[in-house]
Amino acid sequence: MLTRRSARQGGFVALPALLLIAVCFVLPVGNVLRLSFTEPVPGFENYVHLATESLYIRIAITTLRISVLTTVVAVGLGYLVAYVIAQASPGLRSWLLLVVLIPFWMSVLVRAFAWILLLQREGLLNSALMSLGLIQQPLSLLRNETGVLIGMVHYMIPYATLPLLSSMLAIDSRLMAAARACGAGPIRTMWRIFLPLSLPGLAGATILVFVLNLGFLVTPALLGGGKVIMVAQYIQFGINETLNWGIATALATSLLALVLISLVVASRFIRTETLFGAA
Amino acid sequence: MTDDGSMAATGGNQLRRRQVIGGVAAATLAAAAVGATKAEAASRIVVCNWGGEGIKAQSAAWGQPFAQHSGVPVEFDGSGPTFGKIRTMVESGNVVWDVCDANLAVAIDLGRKGYLEKIDWTVVDKNKVRPGFWNDWGVSHFVYSFVLAYDKVKFKDKPPRTWADFWNIKDFPGSRALSARTLGSLEAALMADGVPARKEALYPLDEKRALAKIKAIKDNCVYWSSGAESQQLMRQGEVSMALMWHTRATTLRDEKNSHVDFTWNQGLMIPAGWIVPKGNPAGKAVFDFIAFTQTPSTQIELLRLDGSGPANPAASAMIPDDLRDKDPAYGPNAEVQAVADPLWLADNQDRVYNDYVKIISG
Repeated sequence: MLTRRSARQGGFVALPALLLIAVCFVLPVGNVLRLSFTEPVPGFENYVHLATESLYIRIAITTLRISVLTTVVAVGLGYLVAYVIAQASPGLRSWLLLVVLIPFWMSVLVRAFAWILLLQREGLLNSALMSLGLIQQPLSLLRNETGVLIGMVHYMIPYATLPLLSSMLAIDSRLMAAARACGAGPIRTMWRIFLPLSLPGLAGATILVFVLNLGFLVTPALLGGGKVIMVAQYIQFGINETLNWGIATALATSLLALVLISLVVASRFIRTETLFGAA
Repeated sequence: MTDDGSMAATGGNQLRRRQVIGGVAAATLAAAAVGATKAEAASRIVVCNWGGEGIKAQSAAWGQPFAQHSGVPVEFDGSGPTFGKIRTMVESGNVVWDVCDANLAVAIDLGRKGYLEKIDWTVVDKNKVRPGFWNDWGVSHFVYSFVLAYDKVKFKDKPPRTWADFWNIKDFPGSRALSARTLGSLEAALMADGVPARKEALYPLDEKRALAKIKAIKDNCVYWSSGAESQQLMRQGEVSMALMWHTRATTLRDEKNSHVDFTWNQGLMIPAGWIVPKGNPAGKAVFDFIAFTQTPSTQIELLRLDGSGPANPAASAMIPDDLRDKDPAYGPNAEVQAVADPLWLADNQDRVYNDYVKIISG
């Protein structure tokens, strides 16, 4: 427990970091907020446009749909990966963890280009399937929503795995042994003991992945073939190319609001520390 | 967020660092600087272009020769002069670019909004560009074209020649690539629908008609957002035809064992243009550089290096034989193309973009 005194000292030590955040984050975000109400004319016009024009509604729906789908698949797969790692012997565990972390450290651009090589019409996957005679026509796995989902799920699996793993490692394995000893089968032990105990990690991973998905830019731009437009792409275009700063900043503000709401909702169910793997 | 978002070319690190230092210096010396006019003799000219081949080519054709000729060094920043960056620089009063590689529609758009210096016609010569390839805020330094590129192996006996062929999926099977921006795509759609390849016939664009035509092939179409992506699509056989820049199509055609060719027929010629951000550091001296880039020999050298077509008709008349099939402005190539209308584009492009996105993402 922190005493009041040490908390005060803690606050003092954090001061430079807080200042940095104020200058590098709060000011620009404040500026974005201001622009969304003043460009091109003062008022709520930009937000009215966002709520009424079919293009913006469609971009919002696309962003939410892709974010939810990616979250479900990435967290599901991440759960399996985390479970395997948690059950492995400590020596194997660090190797498995490395396998998860290597893609985690790789640039998003490199990963998107790697998927292009694998998924394109004459790419590795289609060539293999066709030479095996499993398909006659190459599958359309790229330059559509499928491609975007594959790329995003792959990007997100480590983000799902890490909080899940830390929550699973905190589970006392003797509880499962006790359940088995009391006569529960493996499925029942999983369902009644392990899964409920891993719920905080599951909720944390879900929120973390969902929030990060909302702002994807490079992956949909490269794997979507220009047909899958998520909100970050439209913001980038509005800021850089059309000077439509009013709409772009209103979109950015709405996106930030959605992220904050997600975090607030999440904090009611879980301790926010678990989001960042400190369970 | 997750993405690092660094899709822009990273060529200007050094310059950016200098920019930061410059910013600090400017802040501390602000009082001293007030009222001081820009130095008559500029110490350097900073050109912002789009990186890649363009940095090397423009530096070799224009930068180094100008430095030799005038004693003023020319530096290139390849980070891309997007609207957003120009606006931010001008509004913050911290302009680091003297001249930007843009086009004449951008010149009108940004010029009207007050972000650009007017071209100094006492130094720069209107007669050294093709007729109409200038306006108050921009002057064409080269031309490029959107052309129809195709898989010449696939369409061996009967290569496509028109946008109508491009739209004809039945007789010319395969996927298509259009641009993710409206420029080029709308014009191609109208020509496919029977509008003649002439500026007066195309503009003002009948946007509804063009968008309906694009809707008709959208199931067979992908949309590139960079020149490299358009090349990748053709090279890998992802698409059998593409609307793409002639520079990129020429490179593809001239590759070893290439299966790609293109036609100038019904191409769309775009007047690229220099623009000068308001309050540029070198002041009036930048126009000496712009005037220098109008010399025919330097424009032919640029054509040789990166395929940019000369904007000066005098240069087009002197094109050596081996460069003719690369040059969009060379007589027979230019004749079969339409020229884009910067005025219409400046007035309408942003508005139509939203309708275009609605169709291609629908």
